Amino acid sequence: MTAPLLLVEGLTRRFGGLIAASDVSFAVAPGEIFGIIGPNGAGKTTLFNVIAGHYRPTSGRVAFEGTDISGHASDEVGRRGIARTFQAVHVFKNETVRANLHRAAILARRHNPLAWLSRHPHATPDLEGTAAFLGLDKLLDNVAGSLAYGLQKTVGVGLAMMVGPKLMLMDEPAAGLNPSEKIAAAALIRRLRDERGISVLLVEHDMPLVMGICDRILVLNQGIPIALGTPAEVKSNQAVIDAYLGEDYEFA
Amino acid sequence: MKLRVVYGLILLLAILPWFIGSRYIFHIATMIVIMIPLVLGMHLMVRIGQLSLAHPAFWGVGAYASALLTMRLGMPPLLSILVGALIPSLMALVLGPIFLRIKGVFFVLLTFAFGEIVDLVFQEWTDLFGGNSGLYGIPKFSILGLRLTQIPHYYVLGLIAAVLIYLLMRAIERSDIGAILESLNEDEMLSRSMGANALAWRVAAFVVSAFVAGISGGIYAFYIGFLSPDPFGFQTIVDLIVMVTVGGAGTVLGPVLGAIVTVPLPELLRDAREYQLMIYGVCLIGFMKFAKQGLISFIVDKRSGA
Repeated sequence: MTAPLLLVEGLTRRFGGLIAASDVSFAVAPGEIFGIIGPNGAGKTTLFNVIAGHYRPTSGRVAFEGTDISGHASDEVGRRGIARTFQAVHVFKNETVRANLHRAAILARRHNPLAWLSRHPHATPDLEGTAAFLGLDKLLDNVAGSLAYGLQKTVGVGLAMMVGPKLMLMDEPAAGLNPSEKIAAAALIRRLRDERGISVLLVEHDMPLVMGICDRILVLNQGIPIALGTPAEVKSNQAVIDAYLGEDYEFA
Repeated sequence: MKLRVVYGLILLLAILPWFIGSRYIFHIATMIVIMIPLVLGMHLMVRIGQLSLAHPAFWGVGAYASALLTMRLGMPPLLSILVGALIPSLMALVLGPIFLRIKGVFFVLLTFAFGEIVDLVFQEWTDLFGGNSGLYGIPKFSILGLRLTQIPHYYVLGLIAAVLIYLLMRAIERSDIGAILESLNEDEMLSRSMGANALAWRVAAFVVSAFVAGISGGIYAFYIGFLSPDPFGFQTIVDLIVMVTVGGAGTVLGPVLGAIVTVPLPELLRDAREYQLMIYGVCLIGFMKFAKQGLISFIVDKRSGA
């Protein structure tokens, strides 16, 4: 087995007396699309935020390419080659799509005033190529905030791509999308991996999407990992079925 | 096109003092050009989303430092203005990492407290700064054997500095640095996720803005020839806020217009001095209510970039 790209070991995060994530361990292999699911309040977002550098783990560690990044700030995590997208739309709304992508490239390359002249270790994908990949090439001169919601989320993926990441963290990529946009989002995530070699770690509510594209899935319930495996394994897992019982989830 | 008209008008105003020929008009014009770098420094902080009340203090540090460098160490005036401006930037470099972790009203309060401390030091450290009785005997500015003795000479010096610093700030705004600062202000979480070190960029902006405030202070010191702590206190904070608000914070040109309009006001209102602050207040409320983007918004829309 190849060395994991992202390794999470015994990760626990408490908020006062609440244990939002308890002893979570998993590894994302290079080229893998890895999903984290769970009912509301399962601790998915907490786990996501610890990896993305918004919270420090209470205990345990996060390693990326063999380097410990536990507790690193979000910009340090970004500079290591982990890009992220947001559940809500985060783009520079008043700027054109082109300016958005340009800004992402310079924010990554010139991450501090002293790095003004030095080069970013990761190659920055070209702007036109990224736009074409995302199907945004005709919209480059449109103001990002004027685009449809789904397209704004696509611009958000473009921003993350301009960082030149090896791993993309996606926080509910299908949230707020209509059914046809969801299908497009699933295809896009697959193409990110297949054509760009970007591994993906996603947190998602939308079961068909997760089951359809993820290589492996981690299921959390009340902060505790209850299953880890392929979509087929997870779907037939009794603990998972129990956790979701009574909710309106339908495993596709 | 309209923007060209504004530049033309500013150019006309800039040469107007020679047509009037009055020393008094030259004095007001000189004060305007001295205030421009200071207000542009303050404006750079507004652009990164922080209202700094420390800038009058940086201005004062630049003024005292350049005066003392020439008086005590015999440094040539131009050099002492430049070196003198490095001192407030060093202060910004040290304080920035502490102050700029904090946003909004607490940053405002911290910078206000810092300004008050600096003002107190000017007042109490009488051996160095001359205290409330002031620092006398600042020599005239001279460069390459040329000695500036008349008010118009200082006007030209101030004008050159104002134009250079305006061009510098405009270049910053139009460059990638401007885009980075604006990105951080617009969506910090997004910008940081892409790797940008928000604090480092904010500190850099603070350092540059303190430097231009210091330059303004140095020119002021050589022009006035006498320094007391008085101008570096609260009144200047109010003046700068009025300039940025009236002119408009959206572009670099806005604060310049703000300075042109606001600096002569106390002179025009001379007979109504006790009402001056009240009139400032009314102006502020008026602009914030009816023209949030300031005077500049009547001339040019923000996106065309002045």
